Amino acid sequence: MKKRLLALMLAASMVFGLTACGSSSTGSASSEASESATSEDGASTNSTVVIAMGSGFDTLDPGQVYEKYPQMVINACYETLFKFYSNDGAAEPMLADTYSFNEDNTVLTITLKDGVTFASGNPLTSKDVAFSLNRTKNLQGNPAFITDTIASIETPDDKTVVINLTEPDGAILSKLAYSACSILDSEVVTANGGTDAEDAATSDSAQAYLDSASAGSGMFVMTSYIPDSEIVLEKNPSYWGEATNVDKYVIKIQDDANTQMMTLSSGDIDIACNMTEDTMSELEGKDGITLLNNSTKTVSFLMMNMDESIGGPVSDPKVQQAIRLAVDYAGIQTICGEGTTTPYSIIQEGFFGSLGERSTDYTDVEAAKALLAEAGYADGFDIDLTVCDLAMEGIPLTDLAQKVASDLAEIGINVNIVSEAWAAGYGDDYRDGKLGFTVMYWGIDYNDPNVQLEFLAGGVVGLRAGWTAESDPEIASLYAKATNAIEDADREAVLKEIQEATYEYGPFVMLAQAPCPMAYNSRLTGVAFSDPYTVDLTQVNVQ
Amino acid sequence: MDRLRFIGKRLIYLVVMLLGVATLVFILTKLVPGDPVTANLSQRALSDETVVAAYKAKYGLDKPMLVQYFLYMKSLLTFDLGTSIRTNNAVLDELARCYPATIELALVAIIFAAVFGIFFGVISAVKRNSIIDQIVRAISVTGVSLPSFWFALIMLFFFYFKLQIFPGPGRLGTSFSAPATVTGMYVLDSLLEGNPTKALDALSHLILPALVLAAFTMGLITRTTRSNLLDVMSTDYIRTAKAKGLSNTGLILSHALGNALIPVLTVIGLGLGNLLGGMVLVETIFNWPGVGQFAYQSVMANDYPSIIGVALLIALNYMVINTVVDILYGIIDPRVRVS
Repeated sequence: MKKRLLALMLAASMVFGLTACGSSSTGSASSEASESATSEDGASTNSTVVIAMGSGFDTLDPGQVYEKYPQMVINACYETLFKFYSNDGAAEPMLADTYSFNEDNTVLTITLKDGVTFASGNPLTSKDVAFSLNRTKNLQGNPAFITDTIASIETPDDKTVVINLTEPDGAILSKLAYSACSILDSEVVTANGGTDAEDAATSDSAQAYLDSASAGSGMFVMTSYIPDSEIVLEKNPSYWGEATNVDKYVIKIQDDANTQMMTLSSGDIDIACNMTEDTMSELEGKDGITLLNNSTKTVSFLMMNMDESIGGPVSDPKVQQAIRLAVDYAGIQTICGEGTTTPYSIIQEGFFGSLGERSTDYTDVEAAKALLAEAGYADGFDIDLTVCDLAMEGIPLTDLAQKVASDLAEIGINVNIVSEAWAAGYGDDYRDGKLGFTVMYWGIDYNDPNVQLEFLAGGVVGLRAGWTAESDPEIASLYAKATNAIEDADREAVLKEIQEATYEYGPFVMLAQAPCPMAYNSRLTGVAFSDPYTVDLTQVNVQ
Repeated sequence: MDRLRFIGKRLIYLVVMLLGVATLVFILTKLVPGDPVTANLSQRALSDETVVAAYKAKYGLDKPMLVQYFLYMKSLLTFDLGTSIRTNNAVLDELARCYPATIELALVAIIFAAVFGIFFGVISAVKRNSIIDQIVRAISVTGVSLPSFWFALIMLFFFYFKLQIFPGPGRLGTSFSAPATVTGMYVLDSLLEGNPTKALDALSHLILPALVLAAFTMGLITRTTRSNLLDVMSTDYIRTAKAKGLSNTGLILSHALGNALIPVLTVIGLGLGNLLGGMVLVETIFNWPGVGQFAYQSVMANDYPSIIGVALLIALNYMVINTVVDILYGIIDPRVRVS
């Protein structure tokens, strides 16, 4: 009897113990919900902001980073010569005080602002600028391409930087606003194994340090980074500029939209960066939560190889146009969710010079059938559509492939969807231009319309579609014409020419400009979607 | 002397097995279609031959496969697991970072699984064919068959989001900073730091993911305990003890349970080994930076030094656990000790 009683007591204490642990946490969760954060000494503070964002990155070294989410962190801890203060605006001077181009636009001279210091206390000088840009170039990592048009950098004095370009580059200011062009504290980075020497790809060992601490002049300093889990940023106590009232950011890496929705509703986080249409509808009308439906500059597209031996029937321009007319753009927008648009052509909305959206009325099945007959395919044809396991802003490419297949069935094209893993063959075939017909997406790297020039004949993406400069010299010439245009009026004119030229011609059908639904706690102000940074943390304040 | 010979043999077996695992995983990672360069470089960088060449040279991917293999094995013999192609950090450092999080979660999960599993198994055996037995069996079957990612979301939805009994994802509340790393296990490190409030917070964050992970092993333990206890209860010595007038509870606790627990120990050992290998879906949903997530990311990036590192870790886990289970057999059952 005694033993039975003992067993019962043990079981009861176990259940009690569990509940007690849970209850204690409930207390902390609810206090977090009301105050968002409580400092470790128990004092309440509203100035800590918790953010949930997606994963998919492995480093926070500005010289290596190219993925989407680290840009938010880099922008908070480092500063660049130029910056995008609004999502649709142009790059404006940040660390640069004044700048000018020489007559043939091949030399950019920048005078740095006075009084800028790094978090270490070291003054920011032209030597740091040269070190940072040369390091990115010589590391030969993912973002090294951003410095491709930089031939050399001169530093005549501490405040002057002279950037010699290989050719006029209309996007150079936008490129200098990219995370890979962040200005690093050369003294700190060098002391931790960094180098800007030509052999930096093998001799630089500063990544480990830059994954544990930041070395910039930004409003915040990184104090902790636990990969796949959490990043902590604290206010730079010696920030040279005017800071917001946020003292600390805790950035949680949470891929799952449902988890983000629950943690935002419970008050454990303040900003959820990866919402979906479903989770947004769960939050609709909820007190204290603001929803943001944004359109990003990430685009999905159909690619039809221009090389007949690879693309088969889809290499025929008439078939390409028939497919362009057959796609149900309104249906694609429904699949991708609220905020989705279809780009007019290869330069999507939001970029300087963009011609905006393609009307959903563009779809014309009868005209598509007629064109197909004209191309000699009156009875249609069978074709494989290859698709990989990637997703565009949470929208699986396979969903888009299914939709395209059903749309093309309307005009007699029998599509067989072939699924492949990105890292297990698809990526290589895509890069090498071996895919005949595929659905893919393109996320912009630097925030400038020139990034889209890669879709022209001879460009990086164009070549993947077998569209060589030799096969289409007229279109290919627009690439150089656009990069060399510096004045706004000249740029606008050539960008318009490019969009008109590719509106109904070429191997690409732009399907959708992805939405990026986000939600945040209404106690914050200044939260806005930004293509370059997702959220510019240096503009967020707590009410 | 025999004991020393036995230990020596075991150690040689361990080294051979680990080298075998490393070789096998190396071959498999090379046989599987996929290229670490494609998996790790951006779309634009892939088009730049200089960047691709520099990347290959940095990680030795430009060398013939046989040379890559011998270089890797050579470094392995000096306890160097190489550098992760994905993160550019030493694989040993990466494992040291994420393994404690997995150990902490796995230990709590296996304690839940063992305590509840044995408890339910005993009740089920004692109340054989009763309604309680039916309920317990249904629970154990459910535990075994529930998909863990779905169960994790459901648990999070009810106990965190709706009822607010347990805290949400993560290892600590946002009001706490990570404790100074001594063991890497937050509960222990917080206590070592002299911060019981933080330790309690870390413990509370363990409960939901541990319960989710415990469900599967608990179901197995319940079923194994029940069937073995029923077998033992039908043996002659139990009938004799019963005839002597011992109470049912006394009979089970003093005479039957010990013998019935031997196969249960094997299940617990296997369950722990399984948990220590990391649970990628549960770790993802609960934002738990453990071995499972690391392994998943490494596989997706074709990061073969990391994949081999995880495989070696899992193999070592099972070796250690099997040895501990062998020792525990002897403690529970004197016959094993004598033999």
